[in-house]
Amino acid sequence: MTDAPLVITENLGRNFPTRQGLMGRARDVWAVRDVTLSVSKGETLGVVGESGCGKSTLGRMMMGLDIPTTGKITFDGRNLAHMPGPERRRLARRMQMVFQDPFGSLDPRRSVGAQVADGLRIHGIVPDQNIKEEVRRLIEQVGLSADAAMRRPHEFSGGQRQRIAVARALATRPEFIVADEPVSALDVSIQAQVVNLLMDLREELDLAMLFISHDLHVVRHLCNRIVVMYLGRIVEEGPVAKVFGTPAHPYTRALLESTPSLHPRNEALGDRVLPGELPSPVNPPSGCPFRTRCPIAEPECAQAVPPLTGPTDTWRAACIKAGPLKHSWNQ
Amino acid sequence: MNKAHRKLILPGVIVFFITALVFLAPILPLADVREMSIPSRFAGPSASHWLGQDEFGRDVLARLIWGGRASLFIAVGSALAAAVIGTALGLLGGFFRGVVEVLTVRASEVILCLPLLLLALLVVAILGAGTWPLIIALTILYTPNYARVVYSATLQVRSLDYVTAQTAMGAHPMQILARTVLPNIMPPLLVQMSLVIASALVIESGLSFLGLGVVPPTPSWGLMIRAARGAMEQQPLLLIWPSLALAGTIFTFNLLCDRLQSVLDPRGITGGGAFWLRKNQRKTVENERVAEPSTDALLLVEDLSIVLGREGRDTELVRGVSFKVMPGETRAIVGESGSGKTLSGLALNGLLPDVLSINGGRALFSTREGAQVDLTRLDEDAFRSLRGREVSMVFQDAAAALNPVLRIGEQVGEAIRAHKEIDDAALDERIISLLRQVGLPDPERRVRSYPHELSGGQRQRAMIAVAVANEPRLLIADEPTTALDPTIQAQILDLFKTLMADTSGMGLIFVTHDLAVVSEIADRVTVMYAGEVVEEGPVADVFERPRHPYTAALIASVPEGDADRLIAIPGTVPTPKDLPPGCRFAPRCAHAIDACTTHSPEAEHPSLDRRTRCIRWKDVT
Repeated sequence: MTDAPLVITENLGRNFPTRQGLMGRARDVWAVRDVTLSVSKGETLGVVGESGCGKSTLGRMMMGLDIPTTGKITFDGRNLAHMPGPERRRLARRMQMVFQDPFGSLDPRRSVGAQVADGLRIHGIVPDQNIKEEVRRLIEQVGLSADAAMRRPHEFSGGQRQRIAVARALATRPEFIVADEPVSALDVSIQAQVVNLLMDLREELDLAMLFISHDLHVVRHLCNRIVVMYLGRIVEEGPVAKVFGTPAHPYTRALLESTPSLHPRNEALGDRVLPGELPSPVNPPSGCPFRTRCPIAEPECAQAVPPLTGPTDTWRAACIKAGPLKHSWNQ
Repeated sequence: MNKAHRKLILPGVIVFFITALVFLAPILPLADVREMSIPSRFAGPSASHWLGQDEFGRDVLARLIWGGRASLFIAVGSALAAAVIGTALGLLGGFFRGVVEVLTVRASEVILCLPLLLLALLVVAILGAGTWPLIIALTILYTPNYARVVYSATLQVRSLDYVTAQTAMGAHPMQILARTVLPNIMPPLLVQMSLVIASALVIESGLSFLGLGVVPPTPSWGLMIRAARGAMEQQPLLLIWPSLALAGTIFTFNLLCDRLQSVLDPRGITGGGAFWLRKNQRKTVENERVAEPSTDALLLVEDLSIVLGREGRDTELVRGVSFKVMPGETRAIVGESGSGKTLSGLALNGLLPDVLSINGGRALFSTREGAQVDLTRLDEDAFRSLRGREVSMVFQDAAAALNPVLRIGEQVGEAIRAHKEIDDAALDERIISLLRQVGLPDPERRVRSYPHELSGGQRQRAMIAVAVANEPRLLIADEPTTALDPTIQAQILDLFKTLMADTSGMGLIFVTHDLAVVSEIADRVTVMYAGEVVEEGPVADVFERPRHPYTAALIASVPEGDADRLIAIPGTVPTPKDLPPGCRFAPRCAHAIDACTTHSPEAEHPSLDRRTRCIRWKDVT
């Protein structure tokens, strides 16, 4: 871990106003709200949460692909939100993205080599005559054979495509990578290959990484720190061992308990099931967003959004009844 | 050259022939198109005039070729010009949206408000008749068509990940448009092009026919048709030649664009067919009562094999799969993609895609009446009476499996009515009680909801309600929780458990790739790899002490332990077309010895109720 964080977000929010009907009034739909976090070099920050919790929007904003409604993102001291196009494109060299769907993130009509070479060409990473060689090095770095460069994406399996996507992201020698569910679409045995690859690359290249996933097992294995999101807000944030070992927020506990495990647990499944579903972001509950499903909610929870404060400086939870609880996952 | 490229030969050759003919018209030994010979007006085909002579005695063949030169130049020229302008407008509008969209696509759409022919007439009236004004008129006419088609295709493509990846890469927007978006919107563009060329040929002919296009005596197909119309009764052949040329050219261009489109798609498209044209591959055997010593199993699958393709050139996708399901038991079938787990499930409900067929084994199912039927030998009608009532299915993607235009209540009701005569009041009551049983909140109101009004978890519940509507004896669930979030997945798994507990004697086959889900829900597990069962046994035992290296590796690759590095299985699952000899897992197995690659291992029994297909299970597990 190093001194100053590479990427910092402050009170980040993204509103997608929607209009119901032709004449209806526009209503605010906040996908992300008041997100403050930071990622340092060599660190992997895991973002977990269920679909609709805003984790992908957060990732897109941190890549500069989406413009925040409120707050700001600083990358190495520079504000991303109000950066003119050419400057933003130059900065793109230092930050890259790996997508969830390995079948959708590669252009089906162009050869793998050409797609990996794009980044090299755009940013002039290596002289033109060396591009072929560099593409071969990148493809071999992610564990594929060099002749892969000539082929089209559809000739590869899901895991191999994800490796190609990683090679493409690494081409510009980035310092920061946003990985949006990079292993969710892969088979278990292939998933392990990609997770190992990401871990090796992190060590080798001292990468800062934002790892977005709904698979808690993978996040726990790969990440140093974790952010748990619910309905666009951070509900808990802290080191992996703390958050998954002794979760402070009731939602984190529920998430951990509902995740299936190879090892049989003592409680019956029925006792561990969280009732209800994610409330609509169009009409979020007052106060704590989780209170409608929370097993320990009190009338007081409806009063105000609980502040993100914590047991310690590095470990914070947004719950008025927060308290570290030993969890069955802790081994 | 592959199959798709071969398809290009026919239209390619014809187009080349037509183009060569009109290009080479000046140097071909043709008669002069203006040379009249009044005595031989309306002369039929002869050795010197192959297609005969027209009303002024001019050579029809020469006029046809020269006329094609004019007609094709106008049609193809304007189609291409409109394609370039329209594509540029559509790309810019679709990619940048906002103001750019108003200035490009929306602006060009103003032209669409004016009647086609009227607009062309206007332009020609202003600029005067002739070839160039006609090209300009047609270009203006067709630009908005292209703009619209390209615009909507761009809208689809721009949100795809690989376009976002280019943005994230820092590529300039123009670069993205040219290199990534344009090639991917080619298919609709080509279709549009073929339509426009055809339509431009017709309009050119029409305008020339009206006297607003090509000026006589320069020939064009439209002019020829116009002239021939007057003499239709004397010499009908004169009308047939240009019409044939026109129709043939249009047809050829359409064919070329069509074939080009399939060639340009690197993935290749496999054809389907209407269901009444498909051959019924299932042997039509009567509901054969099997006179075997009956087992107490609900379902007994033995040596099930599924093949792809025709006789003789089969690719075996599933080989020798055996398992059984006892009443009240949950059997998990687990494996990676390509392991054949889903196919095995589909086969048991007679839902295999048409290109696949069962070519061996049997699946004995005990019906409610105590009869035993072999599911592999039923025809479509027999299956229909069984589906829903005896064997039922839950799919992964509830959003796709439910009909979007029918209310939830109607879909559940449909399933009940398929097997039962029931009056409306009783039906409504039954639907609501079913929806309540699957835990859909507020069922009285939900019966009138459409699928899109429900959340993912609720849709899955609704689909389960459809599946259990007739209290089936066997429920086959294919990855029913894979698309769901963890807390919702836990709810649905809990629902399956409750259903199993409440319905005595129902068997559940739970197909999944997630080992952790297996350990939550199943009693016994069948592990599949590359179309074969590699291990089988009670869930707790198998996970505690796997007896096959593949199962062991699969468990080790789940990031649940405290190991620093995950054990990844090297390589990938082999494709059915090139399976390794011997044990199919051998090339990826850390314990493989020479004997593993020589012949396929037989099933062995490490203990009474377990099976493994590994010759070294004693040493390595």
